[in-house]
Amino acid sequence: MRIYSGMALTSAAMLTGLNMIAADVCANTSDRFELSGFARLVGGYLDSHQQTVEGYENSFALDQQSLLALQPTWHLSDQLALTAQLLAHSSDSRRSGVEWLYLSWQPEPAWQFRAGKLRTPFFSFSDSLDVGYSYPWITPPVQLYNSLLFPTFKGANASYTWSGPDLAVQLEGLYGYYKGDVVMAGSRIDAQTEVSNMTGFNLNLSRNNLRLRLSWNSGDNHTEIARLQPLQDALQQTGMDDSYNSLQADGKIQVYGAGLSYEDVSSFYRAEWVKIDTEMDLAPQLTSWYASAGQLFGRWSGHLTFARSSYSSATPADELAAFRDDPASPLYPLAAGYYQAYANIPRGGLDSYTLGLRWDFRLNMALKAELTELREHNPHSGFFSPAVAMDDSSSNVKQRATLYQIGWEWVF
Amino acid sequence: MKKSWHLTALVLLTLASGLSRAEPALLVIGHPLDQKPLQLNQEQIRNLFMGIPVARGLKPAGLTADNELHFLFNNEVIGLAEARIQSYWAQMKFTGRKSPPAEFSSEQQLLDYIRQTPGAIGYVSADIPLPQPVQILLKID
Repeated sequence: MRIYSGMALTSAAMLTGLNMIAADVCANTSDRFELSGFARLVGGYLDSHQQTVEGYENSFALDQQSLLALQPTWHLSDQLALTAQLLAHSSDSRRSGVEWLYLSWQPEPAWQFRAGKLRTPFFSFSDSLDVGYSYPWITPPVQLYNSLLFPTFKGANASYTWSGPDLAVQLEGLYGYYKGDVVMAGSRIDAQTEVSNMTGFNLNLSRNNLRLRLSWNSGDNHTEIARLQPLQDALQQTGMDDSYNSLQADGKIQVYGAGLSYEDVSSFYRAEWVKIDTEMDLAPQLTSWYASAGQLFGRWSGHLTFARSSYSSATPADELAAFRDDPASPLYPLAAGYYQAYANIPRGGLDSYTLGLRWDFRLNMALKAELTELREHNPHSGFFSPAVAMDDSSSNVKQRATLYQIGWEWVF
Repeated sequence: MKKSWHLTALVLLTLASGLSRAEPALLVIGHPLDQKPLQLNQEQIRNLFMGIPVARGLKPAGLTADNELHFLFNNEVIGLAEARIQSYWAQMKFTGRKSPPAEFSSEQQLLDYIRQTPGAIGYVSADIPLPQPVQILLKID
């Protein structure tokens, strides 16, 4: 078992120091400047020798989801504030740096406008995904939360809230663009994407402790996948236009979401559903959902969560079909490469069963433990990555593994 | 003899029922806005303390988490456990959506703030004398 003791010690020392700094800073926070932040230390172990999930493998690791963030806010006036969020992830595959930087203007309590670099609010917890303290899980259902196509955007959003004697309604709209990496099925793929005309609406209805959330987000996507470029060039040069076009990652992406939650002093229930539709042949439709129920016992809480994702099949063009089984043909290598590219696109589905415990042992701090059984209901869900070299037939096998996690969450 | 036993039992039961009729443990109070009495139901008070705007000029204020009334208010009026409310505010704060109500470390400080601030809304224990023009919005047993 590999234990990152050095990192743990460093983290502990760093966090102790930060605790003292935070206490000092908070004590000296003026009305105009506020410094807050959050941190999480997460360890995980996957009981599989052949696969990895979310970077976890069959050795204990603390460096996949641990992070530290500072959020300075300058209150320029009673209505205007500038906020930044600086994030340091322990994992190289996750983005560190300035995750939020925005100006917010609240001319009156019902209206709020923000402009700058913002998180995309696809689902209930998408924009607070790094703040582990804000949700019951250590890792929110990967089928939704790790399929985030573009986690941040540059642009503006506006929200309006109306509340009556029995009902509160919040409507939020956003417009902007995204340029950066792209995530498919939880993996950051080697691609640069630009999404223009990002438009989104979220509607929240709440009555007592019941809440309904409906969302729609859309954008015009242009993605360049470096690995596919030589294949695309070869297809174009040989006049295989349909095949070439089927590898173009350009088109509209639409994300439809719905969520329902209820909570009271002793229990909480939450369900979310999402459908991601694209105009691109090589990006299949994804439908995911989860349902979660939890119980509170004083400072302790426990939950059970079931989640499922299902990809539709990506259909390749048939121009090269005749050559894929004919090794003597000069077009055989091109056909093999083309169909291999399609074979790598996720087409299966993943079920997960999670049992989680949380102990709010002091104000603003919580310890969590989580066990997740991951089972593909159709092979090649895209969430498992081979840890060792495997033959092509492995993508037709339903994978399964258990992920064990422990976590410490802190907000200050 | 039997009659007087019944009478005694009746008197004791009446006394007991009088004693068990609990006085309110907590009062949600407010300072009238524009010299008009405030009219808010429990759902509106809950919304206000969860950062949902209810009406212009209303300013929710509470007690710090080390105060017993803070927990009573969260349980009875907000209807959520303390840990869930802290999680909610962590999400709101780090997504820049809402700010939590102002907090005071003692009931007297909170009451002074409400007395001096038109539109301020907070909560105190039922046995604390209320100064003018503070009004009662909700009684929690």
